[in-house]
Amino acid sequence: MGLSGPPSDHYEALGLGPGATQDEIERAFRFLEGLYAEGALATYSLLEPDEASEARARVRAAYEALADPVRRQAYDAERRPPAGPETAPGPDDVAGVAAAAPAVEDAPQAIPPALPVPAGPVAGALPEPPVPRPAPAAPAAPLHVASHAHPRDRVVPLLLPEPVTGPTLRRFREERGVTLAEISTRTKIGVRFLEYLEADRHSDLPALVYLKGFLAEYARCLGLDVKRTVDSYLSRVRS
Amino acid sequence: MTTAAPADHTTAAAVVAVPRSRRQIWSLGGGKGGIGKSLLAASLGYQLARTGRRVVLVDADLGGSNLHTCLGLEMPALTLGDFLQRRVEQIEDVLVETGVPGLRLVSGASDFLAAANIKHVQKVRILNRLRALDVDVVLLDLGAGSSFNIIDFFLISDVSLLTVIPEPTSIENSYRFIKSALYRRLRGVAGNEAVRQLIDSALDAKNEAGIRTPIDLLRVVAERHPDAEEALRREVAAFHPRFVVNQVRDEADQRVGHQLVAACARHLGVRASYAGYVPYEDAVWRAVRRRRLFMADAAESRAADHIRRLTGALLQGETLPLPWA
Repeated sequence: MGLSGPPSDHYEALGLGPGATQDEIERAFRFLEGLYAEGALATYSLLEPDEASEARARVRAAYEALADPVRRQAYDAERRPPAGPETAPGPDDVAGVAAAAPAVEDAPQAIPPALPVPAGPVAGALPEPPVPRPAPAAPAAPLHVASHAHPRDRVVPLLLPEPVTGPTLRRFREERGVTLAEISTRTKIGVRFLEYLEADRHSDLPALVYLKGFLAEYARCLGLDVKRTVDSYLSRVRS
Repeated sequence: MTTAAPADHTTAAAVVAVPRSRRQIWSLGGGKGGIGKSLLAASLGYQLARTGRRVVLVDADLGGSNLHTCLGLEMPALTLGDFLQRRVEQIEDVLVETGVPGLRLVSGASDFLAAANIKHVQKVRILNRLRALDVDVVLLDLGAGSSFNIIDFFLISDVSLLTVIPEPTSIENSYRFIKSALYRRLRGVAGNEAVRQLIDSALDAKNEAGIRTPIDLLRVVAERHPDAEEALRREVAAFHPRFVVNQVRDEADQRVGHQLVAACARHLGVRASYAGYVPYEDAVWRAVRRRRLFMADAAESRAADHIRRLTGALLQGETLPLPWA
């Protein structure tokens, strides 16, 4: 479990990023328990009874896997997806999975502000939400190198011509046949933000600190040189 | 004008002067009648005006046009109907002062949007004239129901507010409203007749494709008409209703707004947000009874305070943070 895609992802089930604190997990769980409670105001007319109980079960399973730090650590280790676009599921897989599990369709907003809103009690203490790799057992090597299983995997990160703009990124991504939905699934960044990123809609993008995280994840997904990509893109945002 | 001094009782959180970049159209819909939309519209209008905006409230409540009553006014002699029927030339001719500086009212025709024969050109004419008004915010009180006329005004708004109260009927209606509005929006970019038919069928609970939600619809479109998918997805992403929960009595009621947002995201694929809530209060009801606006009459009430916060949040594009905080 955990490796096959979004539906079984416990973080997604709770609408959280992998960097969520224990406290956030606790609160998200309590909130979602209320959301899917029998006869709950906000869901009784949207979900059939069996769908609601399924949703409850998913949320509970996620909570049980994540609330205990030891189990969570084990889950995180197991969960880390093989990175790199080559191993990404094809667009059809993604669509199929998403369709089979509506709850995840819009995953990044699942419980709404998975994204830029500092939702934690202390905004400043919040980790950059979209970075899905604070796994306690993180290996020393960079993810896109370390966890690759395929020999054809790229070890040398790619460089794009500077300045790196939204459209450059988009073209590069499209050439590689990677969809935004896939990146979104992998990074927990909303498709909407990825679109803004690629459209150079700087004013619609979140605060710099988050944007930086978004860019890094995006670059990583495509096997791009993270630092150069981030720096080059941001230099234009800043100016 | 936009930086006029805030009213003295206004909380700091409520007022931040924004530069007037362009006039905005805000609309208040809500599917169900009797949930306080008009009162909310009047209060928001009042608060916007008190913080220095020039506001026109438009009563587009079908059948039960009563925004003037919320403001303690008699039914104005001229209404939107007179403009529609071209009995007056300018929309300015049907603007009436409300007694609140900066706040003017366009009263509704007795059944302006209900009129099945309000033609597209008339809708466009009204919208263009409203947009051309030299004000900061045009606030449309849309009234109950989810007829096309109501939805069209909802969809063209810069800020589309959905009023709900924490009761089953209201929430059911608001989901229906959201689906109707979204499907109407998608219809506009459908591209071809087959996709349009699919969208139309989605509102029928027993449609052959088994579409129950916009998420289902996108999936079916992706399977059958992959070319059309991208445009629809973009429209879904751009659709952004904001909930205002009225008549909140306790913490659970307050939480309903967050639950609606989460349910919309998870099960409708719609990115909604929670703009704010207004507590249930006797002071509001007493003011209504006296045909006075509680914002003026009970300025110290919690309800008034929440309207001020809500207005500030809307101006800033802020939403209520999730309850993890």
